[in-house]
Amino acid sequence: MSESQDSVEGSGRMKGVTVVKPIVYGNLARPFGKKREEDGHTHQWTVYAKPYNNEDMSVYVKKVQFKLHDSYPNATRVVSKPPYEVTETGWGEFEVVIKIYFEDPNERPVTLYHVLKLFPSSGAPAPVVMGPLKTLVCEYYDEMIFQEPSLMMQQLLTSTRQITLGPYKHETDFEEKRQKTEAAINSARDKVKREIDDLRDKLKLAKETIARFRSEIEKSQAMH
Amino acid sequence: MSDVLDILEVDRGGAASSEINREKIIGPQRVAKRPGAPRGSRRPEGINRELYALLYSDNKEHPPLFPTEDVNKGYKQTKAKLGMRRVRPWRWTPFTNPARSDSAVLHHWRRVADEDKEYAFAKFNKKVDVVSFTDQEYQRHLQADGWSKAETEHLFDLCRRFDLRFIVMQDRWDRAKYADRSVEDLKGRYYSICSTLNKLRAEPGLPQTKEFVYDAAHERRRKQQLKRLFSRSPKQIEEEQHLLAELRKIEARKRERERKTQDLQKLINSADTEHRRLHKTPGTVKKKVVHVGNKPPRDRLDSASSGAGDAGGSIKFPDLRGSGVSLRSQRMKLPASIGQKKAKAIEQLVQELGIEMSPMPTEEISSQFNELRNDMLLLYELKMGLSSCEFELQTLKHQYEALAPGKTLDIPSSIAPSGLDINRPKTISQVLDIHSSQGTPTRKRKAALEQSKVLHKIKART
Repeated sequence: MSESQDSVEGSGRMKGVTVVKPIVYGNLARPFGKKREEDGHTHQWTVYAKPYNNEDMSVYVKKVQFKLHDSYPNATRVVSKPPYEVTETGWGEFEVVIKIYFEDPNERPVTLYHVLKLFPSSGAPAPVVMGPLKTLVCEYYDEMIFQEPSLMMQQLLTSTRQITLGPYKHETDFEEKRQKTEAAINSARDKVKREIDDLRDKLKLAKETIARFRSEIEKSQAMH
Repeated sequence: MSDVLDILEVDRGGAASSEINREKIIGPQRVAKRPGAPRGSRRPEGINRELYALLYSDNKEHPPLFPTEDVNKGYKQTKAKLGMRRVRPWRWTPFTNPARSDSAVLHHWRRVADEDKEYAFAKFNKKVDVVSFTDQEYQRHLQADGWSKAETEHLFDLCRRFDLRFIVMQDRWDRAKYADRSVEDLKGRYYSICSTLNKLRAEPGLPQTKEFVYDAAHERRRKQQLKRLFSRSPKQIEEEQHLLAELRKIEARKRERERKTQDLQKLINSADTEHRRLHKTPGTVKKKVVHVGNKPPRDRLDSASSGAGDAGGSIKFPDLRGSGVSLRSQRMKLPASIGQKKAKAIEQLVQELGIEMSPMPTEEISSQFNELRNDMLLLYELKMGLSSCEFELQTLKHQYEALAPGKTLDIPSSIAPSGLDINRPKTISQVLDIHSSQGTPTRKRKAALEQSKVLHKIKART
């Protein structure tokens, strides 16, 4: 099987090639303000998955499957073209399983798990943003790493076009988040390293002291 | 069916002949078979008829096993087979017993057939060959302190009479004439004479001298020790067992500690390599440098720390999926192989430093975060090692104080266990709770004190 030669179906894997596609996934939620009489629903929410960059994912993505809670009819919602999102109403928070299938049938789908967020919670580590109209946003950043994709896949991945001509941005400022996280991690690393050095020196001293104590004890025993 | 046969047969043997006659009349054909049938159903004698019926069915003539010769190995004692044959003649014969020294002629009943055979019991008169010495030999070689010639001769006379049974000899020793001798004395004298005589009489070319090595002192000690062992009071026995158990426990703990110090040493080594690596890439965050600098020291780190488990942070993050699609966040997941305690420690440290448990996974962040967690693990292990060292120092200090009362050893203040003074700046490692409960350190310390006391006791005994 030819590896780098262009076979008819382009199924040979491109050795040493890695393509990274960052994505954003999560949900928006807007409360009604009151509990709806018929079914007790309190919020309208939209769960979505979209590329981080301004591009048309459908070039390499065949479909995106959103598995909702069993209490929803047709709990498995399939979206085949952008925008990859599902809008529903409900009253409870549950885990949505987002499965992204690719145009290349040899590539396995990636699975993302997202717990739907409807209610704001204090001190929540999850990114919760209150946008306009009291809309709550909870979204996460992730990256899809394509290792040694087939030639066809590689071409698809690298030939995406913009999906919108206008400005393209997310609810959460990921860039800022990234910088903050990096800074925090770096300072943490320095701190930890300093502590490691400190403890290491103490440990050395402790070992020497132990040896000293032991010899003292032996001497004392020898005298008896 | 065989039951019936057996019953009939049993009855037949004991009952009056009239019943048997009746059976004879009724079943003439069985008469011929009779000798065969009972033997057939009872063939391996020594087992019950019920047992035999269970084991071997009626159809088979023979048991499935090979019949063995162990007729008398069962519980049943076979009776003598007294046949109705003619009596063999017996005669009142005179005989001499070669074992006797006076060649007395005695008489007994003997079968005519066995007339000329040797007296059957003569062969049981075994005698020990006790060496004998001439007077010259005695004068020249066999003299010894504390043993007169008369005494030596008396000893050898006893040897011959009592077949070298020294216990009996010691009892029969003539205390009126000679001084009281212990068994070891007698044995010692006898063996020394034997070996000397053997050496003397050894013909050149025939290396048949059997060396008699007899250590009288050792024997005395051995017997004394046995006597002591036998006469221990139950309380003493219990105490000794208790002490032995304690000793075993102490040794086990000692081995544990030695193992830990070895791990510690490896830990320090890995921390050292870590230290050197840091100095190689001084605080830069540049992607390329970190990546390039990472690989070779990490290999060294891994090999150095593989012996000590995952000391020094060799957390195997899920990596290298080969070909296929994966998510970056997968690579940041902590593997399950990290124990619960360590995972919790890492979690606490991460939170203390204000970082999310699972930050946004860019390439940079994910690798940095993984390394951070590795470092945290190293920190945790160092802290554990340090705390066990502190504890060991305490133990040794107490041990020393027990051995040399009045003197003491000082633990340097920086590693003192109660060093929660205000001077020390707040470290993040204080977040880590090494001990599961508050009581454990004091309990451990008490146990260590007890151990040292027991050690002291054992040493005092020997």
